[in-house]
Amino acid sequence: MKQTSNIEHRTSNIELPSDVGSLGVWRFLWRILDFAVAGIFIYAGALKALDPVQFASDIDNYKILPWPVSVALAFYLPWLEIFCALGLVFRFLCRGALSILTASILVFTLATIAAKIRGLDITCGCFGHASQNWSFPSHLATNLAILAALLALLFKVTSRNRLQNLV
Amino acid sequence: MKSSLVGQVVILAALALLPAAGEAIYFRDKISWRSAIAPSEMVTVDQARGWGDTAIWVDARPEDEFANDHVPGAISLNEDRWNELLPQFLAVWAPGKKIIVYCSSLSCNASREVAHRLRKEAQLADVFVLEGGWEAWMKKNR
Repeated sequence: MKQTSNIEHRTSNIELPSDVGSLGVWRFLWRILDFAVAGIFIYAGALKALDPVQFASDIDNYKILPWPVSVALAFYLPWLEIFCALGLVFRFLCRGALSILTASILVFTLATIAAKIRGLDITCGCFGHASQNWSFPSHLATNLAILAALLALLFKVTSRNRLQNLV
Repeated sequence: MKSSLVGQVVILAALALLPAAGEAIYFRDKISWRSAIAPSEMVTVDQARGWGDTAIWVDARPEDEFANDHVPGAISLNEDRWNELLPQFLAVWAPGKKIIVYCSSLSCNASREVAHRLRKEAQLADVFVLEGGWEAWMKKNR
């Protein structure tokens, strides 16, 4: 009996370092995803913040909002994206940042699909001038990939918070 | 930082307001809050009248509204019959002439679209949109 218990104890001791190692790798990979998503939004936000006139016109092309609202959003949204992305990088207000970014990409994706259905020939303006010649499928695929990454990060942050609350 | 989700969203939304307000002040001359047309591409009724014969007036409203009444000497050029009406307009146009496009009122888009197409498709310079459109013209000429 005593021998069996020793064997079990030894086995668990051997497995422990590899568990810690894989946890570290996962943490590193999540952090890479954090930085990748943040990088995309900082890049996109900076491009739009540098040319709000073009971005206002891009929003107006969706023919959903009145012009003054398009102008206000053209000044506001790029900075909101940049601050949320910085929140991801520095782990500051992370849940709020992820929620805002997820909501914004979801709204833009739906607006793009609606515009396509209405037969409007639009550029999303997501990446300023860089995205002006994107086709609808590549635009949609990019948005959905970013949305998937955001949802994964949001799920991870939410479940971690739940675990912390339980402990 | 531990705070509720709503609290986090409100803080981030408030933080973004500051640089956005700064940028709105910085770009105030480059973008108009009233219309999608840049201030440099707009012209008031008084300015346009001051140009006299050096300007051509383009009516971007639908055919029936043009037939009802229009700025004296204006040429009809709307998007519905663009291909038919553009040659008629180009026959009247001469290099160096300013082009003033108008539609019904401040809120209409037709003048903006026609002005845009004249610049892009017909490669014409000095194309302006009349601020307030036909409504503003009527007020000044009543």
